Amino acid sequence: MTRPLAVLLLLLVPVVPWSQSKIDERAGIFRAQEEVLYLWSGEQVRNLFPGFEDLAADVYWLRTVQYFGGQRVYSRKKDFALLRPLVEITTTLDPRLEIAYRYGAVFLSELPPTGAGRPHEGIEILEKGTRAMPESWRLRQYLGFFYFLYLGDARRAAAVLEEAAELPGAAFWLRTLAADLLARGGDRAASRQMWQRMFDQSEEGILRENARVQLAILDSRDRADQITEAVQKFERRHGRRPHRLEELRRSGLWRGPLEDLNGVPFHYDASRGRVSISRESPLWRPEPPAAGG
Amino acid sequence: MGGLSRLVAVAANTFRETVRERVLYNLVFFAILMTLSGLLLGQLSIRQDEKVLKDIGLAAMDFFGTLIAIFIGVGLVSKEIERRSLYPLLAKPLSRGEFFLGKFAGLVFTLLVNIAVMTLGLYATLLATGRGADPGLLAAIYPIFLGLVLVVAFAMLFSTLTSSALASVLTVGVVLAGRFSDVVRNMREVLPAVPTWVVDGLSAVIPNFRNFDFKDRVTYGDPVPGDVLLWVTVYAAVYVTIVLGLGLASFRSRDFQ
Repeated sequence: MTRPLAVLLLLLVPVVPWSQSKIDERAGIFRAQEEVLYLWSGEQVRNLFPGFEDLAADVYWLRTVQYFGGQRVYSRKKDFALLRPLVEITTTLDPRLEIAYRYGAVFLSELPPTGAGRPHEGIEILEKGTRAMPESWRLRQYLGFFYFLYLGDARRAAAVLEEAAELPGAAFWLRTLAADLLARGGDRAASRQMWQRMFDQSEEGILRENARVQLAILDSRDRADQITEAVQKFERRHGRRPHRLEELRRSGLWRGPLEDLNGVPFHYDASRGRVSISRESPLWRPEPPAAGG
Repeated sequence: MGGLSRLVAVAANTFRETVRERVLYNLVFFAILMTLSGLLLGQLSIRQDEKVLKDIGLAAMDFFGTLIAIFIGVGLVSKEIERRSLYPLLAKPLSRGEFFLGKFAGLVFTLLVNIAVMTLGLYATLLATGRGADPGLLAAIYPIFLGLVLVVAFAMLFSTLTSSALASVLTVGVVLAGRFSDVVRNMREVLPAVPTWVVDGLSAVIPNFRNFDFKDRVTYGDPVPGDVLLWVTVYAAVYVTIVLGLGLASFRSRDFQ
C-alpha cells in the first residue's frame, strides 16, 4: 500500500509546476491582482491595531506602493480606484509619514497612464499633510506647486508658497518664486523651476523620475515652439507653409532635431502651421490648465 | 538559606525551566524573522527602509514579548499545581510568597534576556544595512519591557484564580482593554448614557498600556524626556506591586488539599 502511494505522490509532484505553467500561459505570468479593501476608514484600521499603528501604516504604505505599481504596469483598467483610500488610511495611521503625502499626491495627480489623473484629490492629501505637519515647509511647498502645476491657480499657489517661506528652515527661493507667480501669473519658466526643485529634492526613484519626465516635456515643448517659429519664418519667406518639417531643414531655417526628447518625431499640423509633441510620444500630455506648461 | 536566596533559587530555576520551553524558541524565532523581513519590506517602501525596519523590530518585541508573557506567565503556577509538583516544594522550607515571587522574577528575567536578544537582532540588522545603531530606540524598548512585566503580573494573578486556559483569556482581555484605554476614557462621547463614575472606575482599574508605547516617537527620532520615563516606571512599579500583591494573597489563600 505504501509503495503505490509513494509512486502516486512522485507522479503528482511534477504536475504542480506543469499546471502552474499552463495557468501562466493562459493568464500571463504577471497579472494585476484584484485588489480589495475591506476597511475604508483609517480610524477603523487604527482601532484594530492598538499600539501597532506605525507597523500598520507601513503595511498600508507598502500596499499603496504595490497597488500603484500593479495598476500602472499590469492593469488594463488603470482606474487607481483604491489609491485614495489607501493613502488616506496610511496617513491616518501615521500622520507623520511625510513621504506618503508627497508620493500619494503625485500618484493621484499625474495624468493617466502615469497616475490617477485626480489632482483635486492629490491636493486634498497634501492639505491633510499640512494640517498634520504644520511645521513642514516642504509639504506646503508641494501644495503650492500642485496648485499651480495641476490646477493652474497661480494666485493660490503664490499664497501657499508665501506661507511655506514663513516656516523655520524654509528655502530662500520660495518667496522669490511666489512673487514671480504673482507678477507674471505663472509661465513655463515657473513650471520648469518647480519641477527642477522637485527633481533636486527627490530621492532616487519614482518621484525623481516623474520630475525628470516633466522637465523633458517642458524642454520638448520649448523645442516644438522654436520649430513653430521656424515654420512662421518659412511662411513669410516662401508665402506658404512647409508641407513637411523636413523642408525646414532643407531651407536652412531649422538645424536642430525634429523629435522630442524621447526621440519621437513631432506632430506637425500643416493647416495651422503648429508643431507639438506627438500623441504617440510618452511625453505627450494635454494642454496645461494655465500658461504654466 | 535566607528568604531572598530561596527566592533567587526559585527564580533561577524558573529561568532554566522557561528557556527550555519550545514555545519560547518559536516566538523568539518569529520575532527575529519578522525583524529580518523588514530588510525586504523596507526595500519596497520607497526610501522608508530604516523606519520600516525600526517599526517592525519594535512591534515584534512588543507583540511576541506579550505572547511570551501571557502564555508562559499563566503556566508558571498553574502547571505546578496541575502536575502536583507544587506540594513537595511547599513541604520544604519555602514560603508561598517566596515561591510566587521567585516564579515572577524568573520569568521577568527570561523576558529581559529575550528583549536583549531581540534588541541585538534589531541593532545587528540596522548595522548590516549601513544604518546607525540608534541608541534612542532604547527609550522605546525599556517601556515595552515594563509593559511586559505588568502583563506577567496579570497572567500570574489570573493563574492563581482559575485554570490556565481561562487565565490566558482573561490576561489577553486585560491587555486588549489596556491598549484601548483611550477609547474607555472617551467612552461617553459615543455612549453618553454611561455614568461618569463607571468611566472613571474603568479608567482607574484598567491598566493603561498606552503609557508604555513610545515606538512612534523614537522611530521619528523624537526624544523621550527622562522624567516621562521615570513616571512610567513609577506607574508600572505601583501597578505591578498591586497586581502581584493580589496574586500573592490569592495564592496564599488557596487550599491545595
